[in-house]
Amino acid sequence: MKKPLVSIIVIVIVIVGVALIYYATRPPEVVPTIKIGVIGPMQYVQGIGHWNGATMAADEINAAGGIQVGEKKMNIELVQADSNEFINITDATNAMERLITNDKVDFIVGGFRTEAVLPMQDIAMENKKIFIGVGAAHNELCLRVAKDYDTYKYFFRGSPFNSSFLGRTSFIHLGTVAAIMKMTLNIPKIKVAIAAEKAMWTEPMIEAAEGVIPKMGMELVGVWRPSPIATDVTAELSAIQRSGAHIIFTVFSSSVGIPFARQAGELKIPAVQVGINVEAQKDGFSQATQEMGNYVATLNTYCRSVEYNELTKPFVDGYVERFGETPTYTADTYTAIKYALAPTIEKAGTLDADALVAILENASYMVPSGKVEYLKDAEGNHLHELRWGPGYLTSLGVQWQDGELKSFWPNKWKAVPEAPEVTYKGIVPYKIPPWVVDAYKQ
Amino acid sequence: MDLIRFYVRKLFTVLKNEVIVLPSRVVVVVFFLFLLLLPVFTNNQYTLRIFTLTCIFAILAASWDLLSGFTGQINFGHALFFGVGAYAAAMSNLHVHLPPWASIPLGGLVAVLAGLIIGIPCLRLRGTYLALTTLAFPIILMGFVFAFPDLTGGELGISGIERIARSRVTNYYIVAGLMFGLCTIMWKITDSNTGIIFHAIREDELAVRASGVNTTRYKLLAFCLSGFFAGIAGGLYAHFMRIAGPSTLEVSMSFLVVIWAVFGGVATIYGPVGAVFILFPLLEFLRFWQEYRTLMFACVLIVILLYMPDGLFPWLRDKIETECPRCKIRNIATRTVCRVCSASLE
Repeated sequence: MKKPLVSIIVIVIVIVGVALIYYATRPPEVVPTIKIGVIGPMQYVQGIGHWNGATMAADEINAAGGIQVGEKKMNIELVQADSNEFINITDATNAMERLITNDKVDFIVGGFRTEAVLPMQDIAMENKKIFIGVGAAHNELCLRVAKDYDTYKYFFRGSPFNSSFLGRTSFIHLGTVAAIMKMTLNIPKIKVAIAAEKAMWTEPMIEAAEGVIPKMGMELVGVWRPSPIATDVTAELSAIQRSGAHIIFTVFSSSVGIPFARQAGELKIPAVQVGINVEAQKDGFSQATQEMGNYVATLNTYCRSVEYNELTKPFVDGYVERFGETPTYTADTYTAIKYALAPTIEKAGTLDADALVAILENASYMVPSGKVEYLKDAEGNHLHELRWGPGYLTSLGVQWQDGELKSFWPNKWKAVPEAPEVTYKGIVPYKIPPWVVDAYKQ
Repeated sequence: MDLIRFYVRKLFTVLKNEVIVLPSRVVVVVFFLFLLLLPVFTNNQYTLRIFTLTCIFAILAASWDLLSGFTGQINFGHALFFGVGAYAAAMSNLHVHLPPWASIPLGGLVAVLAGLIIGIPCLRLRGTYLALTTLAFPIILMGFVFAFPDLTGGELGISGIERIARSRVTNYYIVAGLMFGLCTIMWKITDSNTGIIFHAIREDELAVRASGVNTTRYKLLAFCLSGFFAGIAGGLYAHFMRIAGPSTLEVSMSFLVVIWAVFGGVATIYGPVGAVFILFPLLEFLRFWQEYRTLMFACVLIVILLYMPDGLFPWLRDKIETECPRCKIRNIATRTVCRVCSASLE
């Protein structure tokens, strides 16, 4: 009688033991995730912006429980890829291929240098992966979508809007500042000097400026081309001063933006600076110019004190709190993930790229820098290009005022006479530097 | 059937008497088999991409060695040939609709022309002066690229070029096959009478001229040959990447070629090829340590060149093989007598 009992006890112990061992050593439950590749020059400020924006978006989405994909919730998993695209284009394409083939990402955001983004785009399209470009502004990236929709339909522009719109916005800033100068200082005809770094991307801007400035009723007094890495631009500034220019239209993306602003401040050149100066978009600009960069104005996407809409403040404040700096436009990977990909996936209930493209290209949604809608070309072909203009994306005109970056544009701006006025919350008036006022006040 | 049996027997004889006796030859055979069988073991697109690009850069590095290693005409602007080949292939494909099999050799021929254009004014220069002058040419061409953006695509380059083949495996086999073929041709050139004259020009040009050899013609020939192979590499690159941009002409590209060649061992052909097959995948492998990737790469280079100043592969070869002092035939280092003339190797 005892024997069967012992046997039963042994069997039970064995079964419980096996069950316990299985429970202790069972593979962890695999939580399904949506993998998003973040590609960019990660050793540079642009790539850091890409990664910071994406991290913030992923953390917010995951903290809220993830993305609803059909029946299940899925978290976001980010995969970082250093494209090294400023130095090596081949490296950038390898990084993209690795993201898709080895890391098996579902979507990609990022990219910066157009020459690198073009082959990166080819790789993503061959693999039918949705790639939201955040950084490169060249029109060609979206023209490809219209030219060969079936191949390139998976590409969308995330930020900034294209270079044509960037140029147009800069000229509006120039016109705005010129009008203020004319009115305040009673200058009959504003003289403009163009200061553009010696780089290929500035060529079309200069060509356009040479055509547009006279049409805007201003006089073009000359074009100066310092080296992108110049540390001394006093010769150019002296020549600009001698030309009698009231406004310097800057076209700088490189480090020359710092010495140019600093030395112009030191020499008290009687001309205001407006246009594009990427260095002036950064928080450290005032310190880098030893506070001589005060009153420099540039085009920018975000400014701490300005709200495009109710989404701006939470994003900018959250970013500043977390990373200690104002987001640049490459941090719009946040927008690409949180406002483009996540809602589209939830709406489609699938990760299938074709289904998502069909929804996203017709979507209209709010983002922290305005409202996104995708353009079509004249023949009605999808471009996946961002719409620019009042009510959509406009960017800002910002100016350094007493060591702080403030935004002066759009301030009661009308794109066309019949259009409604646009003024964002937090916009302040443009300030003319006191030494310029002293030089021209009659 | 007898013919097949004859060739199989001959193959075994060659393998037994000519290949297995020397470790360096065994390594070449293993390397060949590795490249041949790679797609059988993996169809990973990323791996195949890395090895396809490695093969393209191996042609480029070997072409620099042909000119600078063998003839001693130090070229710090080798990216010119590569860029010219890439742009010529891209333009002929995009504007004239030439298929890759025609546009790539055309790229090589246009690079030959570039070799002539550079070679003629550079013939009077030597050493540092020649090196610095050659460095200027890709920069000048980049100026032209930016000056005629309608033709060259300017800053963006020329994109939307036809692929060599649709499948990645086919691309790989075409490029790897070409790499083997072209590197063998380069090696054969250096082993021929022309190659001996190239060697001699590097060692003592005056003596060669005193022997009645027109060194000018041979130096120009070296520029053209090197240009042709580098141009082919450029054409392959353009069709593989589907873009030919200013980055193909960048100074960093020229220096990368010199680094590969010096790392592997100059005046060897196999040295630069081997170096590319180590360094290019190594840089990819180091992606796991992204922040220190370039630093680690530089450390590897410095350590190798510190302890192996003649390059990695000549150093390795000297460790595993010895040359017979009498008949100059190479033997495995473990042998005490020469395998051909039985002379003592100790």
